[in-house]
Amino acid sequence: MTREISVELRNVDKVYDTAKVVDGVSFSIKKGEVLVLIGPSGCGKTTTLKMINQIIPHTAGNILVNGEDVTKLDPVELRRSIGYVIQYIGLLPHLTIEENINFVLQLTKRPKKEQQERALELIETVGLPADYLKRFPRALSGGQQQRVGVARALAADPAILLMDEPFGAVDPLTREQLQNELMRLQETIKKTIVFVTHDMQEAFKIGDRIGIMKEGKLVAMGSSMELVNSDDEFVRDFIGRGALFDVLDTISVTRVLRKDIPTIREGEHFDKESKMNGWDNILVLDERDAFLGYVSIENIDASGKISGDAVQRVADAFPAELSIKKAIEEMLYGGRTWLPVAGDDRVFKGIVTFDSCAGLLSKEGGS
Amino acid sequence: MESVVNFFQYFWDIRETVTAMAGRHAWMSLFGVLLGTFTAVPMGIFVSRNKRVSGYAIDLAGMLYTIPSLAVLGFFLPFLGLGWMPTIAALVIYSWLPILRNTVTGIVGVDASIKEAARGMGATSFQMLVRVELPLAMPVIMAAIRTVTVLTVGITTMGALVGAGGMGDLIFQGISMMDNNLILAGTIPVATMALLFDQLLGLLERRLKVSAGIT
Ligand SMILES: Nc1ncnc2c1ncn2[C@@H]1O[C@H](COP(=O)(O)OP(=O)(O)O)[C@@H](O)[C@H]1O
Ligand SMILES: [Mg+2]
Repeated sequence: MTREISVELRNVDKVYDTAKVVDGVSFSIKKGEVLVLIGPSGCGKTTTLKMINQIIPHTAGNILVNGEDVTKLDPVELRRSIGYVIQYIGLLPHLTIEENINFVLQLTKRPKKEQQERALELIETVGLPADYLKRFPRALSGGQQQRVGVARALAADPAILLMDEPFGAVDPLTREQLQNELMRLQETIKKTIVFVTHDMQEAFKIGDRIGIMKEGKLVAMGSSMELVNSDDEFVRDFIGRGALFDVLDTISVTRVLRKDIPTIREGEHFDKESKMNGWDNILVLDERDAFLGYVSIENIDASGKISGDAVQRVADAFPAELSIKKAIEEMLYGGRTWLPVAGDDRVFKGIVTFDSCAGLLSKEGGS
Repeated sequence: MESVVNFFQYFWDIRETVTAMAGRHAWMSLFGVLLGTFTAVPMGIFVSRNKRVSGYAIDLAGMLYTIPSLAVLGFFLPFLGLGWMPTIAALVIYSWLPILRNTVTGIVGVDASIKEAARGMGATSFQMLVRVELPLAMPVIMAAIRTVTVLTVGITTMGALVGAGGMGDLIFQGISMMDNNLILAGTIPVATMALLFDQLLGLLERRLKVSAGIT
């Protein structure tokens, strides 16, 4: 299935005097995708981002937003249709939080009532109490201000969001919280997001794809797993040795589940001949499909019933919402080679093994 | 002691004249400041778009500022004749430097990230000016207007020399007659007026700062 392309750069250059600060950058972003741009300071990330909404005009190449060349669009209209969040937040200190959130709606002269409703809705969306609407930015902490920054960018319901190190100026705990909130929000709003950061962990966590820049060039682009598996020396050096575990911490264990293992409901009959799929054990579930334990094939009699109390009870199932890294840790510390995995309704989903985790690495990105 | 009583007696006797003169003095001063503000602020906005031009403009206003007020009044006499007009013209010229300079400083000094955010959200340059730059520069501009108002109340006194009237009439009359009571009767209201305007504008300035989110 091919999704619509939302933003596309074709061979884009930015030249200041004689310095080429962005050099032949090309990429395209699908609708609803989160693309992270990362690279050393001064490599041209911000410049690349700002060329998309033409705050900085590009020198050469083409930039297309929803298929239209940005140079053919009215820059003011273009910017109003794209949400923009910057590192230094840039809340207007003379306006209340409500007026800040509604800034774009005011510029476009939307009705007052619509503005009020939108501000109320958005302040809740970003997890701030409604009575903050009447306050001024200086009364808010850095993290709260950045939440307002995000709310403000969403006000006109743009399909595209540009975020330039949005969480760069807040403390690590707040940053993690804001990242989590953004990801939760993204599940429902499904914006196309271009996100600039210099924090690799943040990139792994947030990005569907990550583009690595160096001296104005885009030197690598791919999913976090693709980058971890990259042969490119700069990419390997840049993301560092510890990166693998950071990446594995951002991928749900459901990505490496094995579902081919045979299962039996307690008390039911099992057909040994056709259903073993080469396994030696069968997992036992209760009547609601919650995991109970496992039983060896030898303990199933000819009629397909479990003999006696042969079911081996093991610890509770591993929660499906946790990461591969957590599953590997659980196996290492618990001396296990596999874990049953269940959703939060306790329904068994499959098992994870060391091999299935390793399979992700060898499968070239595994996407 | 006797001279103080004398002065008050005298002041009381001419109170109606003084009130009329003070009224005229006040409106000339305020009119001058108003006209100065409405010329210097737009000039400041205009030149703030360009660093070089704003440098020249401030230099030029600075040069005008150093010309003695008597010379400025004299300069305008042939064009504007006697009366209040050359006085107002001089006031306008003196108000230019502080207001122009602070308008430019105020606008140029607006935090770059704030302007970038506004531009990124699609503010036109006009919207940027009226919704971002001017409100944020307002306290700085107000400070200049306040300075200028105090200065102006003093300079208006010189207007008496070209027939503008105002408190200067009393003062210069007192000087030529070497009558201290007359000089004081002119000077005290001028000083009071300057202080009063300063306080009132100070109050306004603080309110503007609060509404501009700057404290
Ligand atoms: N207005 C400008 N004039 C000249 N050089 C600039 C200008 N803006 C940015 N640069 C240069 O362009 C390069 C890329 O900047 P930027 O995109 O901000 O990098 P990043 O966001 O990756 O840190 C830097 O070397 C910077 O010095
Ligand atoms: Mg940057």
